[in-house]
Amino acid sequence: MTAAHREGTGPGPLGAAGFPEDEVRARARAGTAAVFPPVDAYGNALFGAGSGTSGAYAPSADALDRARLVPPVFMPQRLEKLVELGREPVYDDVDLRTRVGGFASSLPLFLSAFGSTRAGSGDLALAASVQAGRLGIPMVLGENMVPVHGYATPADGTLPALTARIRAYADASDGTSGGVVVQQSTEDADAEVWNLLYSDPALRPLVDSGRLAFELKIGQGAKPGLGGMTVVDRDAADRLSDAFAVRDVFGASAPARLRCATPGTFTEEIVRQQVRFMRNNFPRARVWVKLPPGRDVALAARTAWRAGADAVTVDGAEGGTGWAPRAFLDQVGLPLAECLRRIGPPEGCLLVTGRFHEGGRTVRALALGARAAGLGRAALLAVDEDPEHGLVRLAESIALECRLLVSALGKYAPAALTAEDVWWPDGPAATAYAPATDTGTSSYASATDTGTSRFTPPTDTGTSPYASATDSAIPAGAAPGRPSLPQRVGGPA
Amino acid sequence: MNHTAVMHGPAPAGHPAGADPETHPEASSAAPADGPAGPPDPARHLASPRLRSAMLVQQEALAAARDHLRGLGFVELLPPLLGPVTDPGGRGAKALDVDYYGRRYKLMTSAILYKQASLHGFPKLFYIAPNVRVEPPETAGTGRHLVEFHQIDVEIAGASREDAMEIAAGLLRHVVEHVVDRVPHELAALGRDPGFFSALRSAPFDRLPHAEAVARLWDDGRAQNPDAEIDWAGEEALSRAADRPFFITDYPKGSRGFYDREDPERPGSLRNFDLIAHGGFGELVSGSEREADYATIVTRMRESGENPAKYAWYLDAAREGLPRSAGFGMGLQRLVRFLTGLDALWQVTAYPKLPGVIAP
Repeated sequence: MTAAHREGTGPGPLGAAGFPEDEVRARARAGTAAVFPPVDAYGNALFGAGSGTSGAYAPSADALDRARLVPPVFMPQRLEKLVELGREPVYDDVDLRTRVGGFASSLPLFLSAFGSTRAGSGDLALAASVQAGRLGIPMVLGENMVPVHGYATPADGTLPALTARIRAYADASDGTSGGVVVQQSTEDADAEVWNLLYSDPALRPLVDSGRLAFELKIGQGAKPGLGGMTVVDRDAADRLSDAFAVRDVFGASAPARLRCATPGTFTEEIVRQQVRFMRNNFPRARVWVKLPPGRDVALAARTAWRAGADAVTVDGAEGGTGWAPRAFLDQVGLPLAECLRRIGPPEGCLLVTGRFHEGGRTVRALALGARAAGLGRAALLAVDEDPEHGLVRLAESIALECRLLVSALGKYAPAALTAEDVWWPDGPAATAYAPATDTGTSSYASATDTGTSRFTPPTDTGTSPYASATDSAIPAGAAPGRPSLPQRVGGPA
Repeated sequence: MNHTAVMHGPAPAGHPAGADPETHPEASSAAPADGPAGPPDPARHLASPRLRSAMLVQQEALAAARDHLRGLGFVELLPPLLGPVTDPGGRGAKALDVDYYGRRYKLMTSAILYKQASLHGFPKLFYIAPNVRVEPPETAGTGRHLVEFHQIDVEIAGASREDAMEIAAGLLRHVVEHVVDRVPHELAALGRDPGFFSALRSAPFDRLPHAEAVARLWDDGRAQNPDAEIDWAGEEALSRAADRPFFITDYPKGSRGFYDREDPERPGSLRNFDLIAHGGFGELVSGSEREADYATIVTRMRESGENPAKYAWYLDAAREGLPRSAGFGMGLQRLVRFLTGLDALWQVTAYPKLPGVIAP
């Protein structure tokens, strides 16, 4: 702004029709703070794809939301069920019980990590833990909870977040179904979170019943390539600056600071050895690995499985988060459908997260190879709506939809679903299994890739195993986008 | 009781009344349900004839170890107790945090990093090092784990793995000879027959590569993870089948710390070794050729899930150049248990702390 502008004596404000003028002006006003969603929404809003550009939700960029489930007319598996039952099968004959990352689970669902953000570590998270325990589905606890909230019980008797959530889950659980999965970031490793839990006599019942897992978090969907980020006040910033990078991107005078965890460095060998190290050091705990939607997701998943991971979770780019730079929310990472396409038929237990909140997307993901889907934002919204029963009711509604949909496909267990149950309006070219490559660079040609050809279905002769050739006649985008959740939720200010 | 008859495992509860007060069930405190009976109260433990005999054996073992190593040109240093980092170790044990002028320091789980850093001034060095590892409760039942323990910790500049193995074997032999020679009455009081050591004294120690040890256990119907340590039960089975100590070599990367050197000829395999006692007593010594290359150390730290930033002082030393070396740590309490034939480590420890048990 020039002196003439300030005095109001110059010409009117500059215009730039067709150019994102408001965006530029916002950056000119707020500087680095404009890289992030409004700081006053922190702790009250959950972010994910669609929240980067404006308050309104954007249509999903994930083809999984445009795909449709396509029941056949002829159903040999329904006949098998008819013979087994001696009566016509109905939708509640669908058995949704499954194994999720080494645990028994009552449903093909699990509670995703919320992390150490305010929305994810307060009463809502505790309520979600109780209800996940009641449901008998696994619960993942996010990274950075110990460095931020501590572990040992302080003198005032209040339980730190991690302990409180584990205890709440265990108390509500039946002691056999589900399990607790604890992430560890670089900063957690400094606090030896896994060793701490594994050597804690209070957790022995979980270990003894085979219901403790540790998750190596390699990245997340909302901000692939970045580490965890939260907004903290200045006092907390001083306290945490030993363990984390703390930056004043919101302006030197702002009361808030950005706390960044490092993303960690990974190579094929580092992942392989870290998984082996986890299995070596914690032989009675399960090993989970969480991947960001990276372009080499197929190679990464295969590396983890072959090193012995009990589960690999792929977080699609539409995955939610407590906080992320806006550019990452809408512009970075592969949509989940593309991740599933690149992975193809999984070698091990594949879990998916990102935007799951109802049965349709869930069943499509199961048909494309996933064993279970994680509930993150949906779970927090559900317990915000009703802290006592919200998540249980949400899960029951998803389970009912899953039973209806799976039975409509003439099948009676999620494991019976296959890619042919899904139809892609975008055509097969975009949805064929991509053979995984060992180079990490994108290459869809498989003729010379003998090392990985066994991951390509034997029927894959150039046409998609996901869709028949005639499907390509349907123009891309013919199916409407799925309705999305509002991004803002109520809650304590 | 003839202790040679029961080498290991849950301590038997059925001693004749009054014969062995330390393992009386009513005298035991806070023992895990599936572990050996724990120690009695400290006063009774410290007054017991059995502990006295064991400590006299330990005293001779220590004197013999010092004498032997000094005779080979080693210098004894006193080890550090605290540091910003310590040996990240493995198998689920946790380092104990200490508030050090407002910073989080660790009690030494082992002083390996300091041994390497000392080599410029002390090319052949050893410690009798106290270490603390908060072991997972599941190890309470092995009879081979204590939270507080000591190691005879040896490092040799310019040495190969084979050099270190030879010194470890020579050290063990010398200690056994010395103890059998000097305190036979204490061994007899504890029920240890010197004949237990005859093969150790007369024949060389065999070498068994890790992969072969795993295969042998599989053949024996004991499932093992080929990418990991041999589990406690598997190690004990191998140990029971032997008539003298033997080496297991070439552990897989992913089972040991970043400082064990990867074999350049056989990637994924480490130039390391354990010395396993016979008779079911299991591992006495862990050692290796050390990694000395800065970039390799940083990469290996990542592979073991460590944050290189917290190892700043050590990495600075590595940038300036660590001498190549090999070395090992011999568990002192395990050594004494092996010498005496007692059931559990707490019986050869004046102030025992069992994993998962809150003890004075």
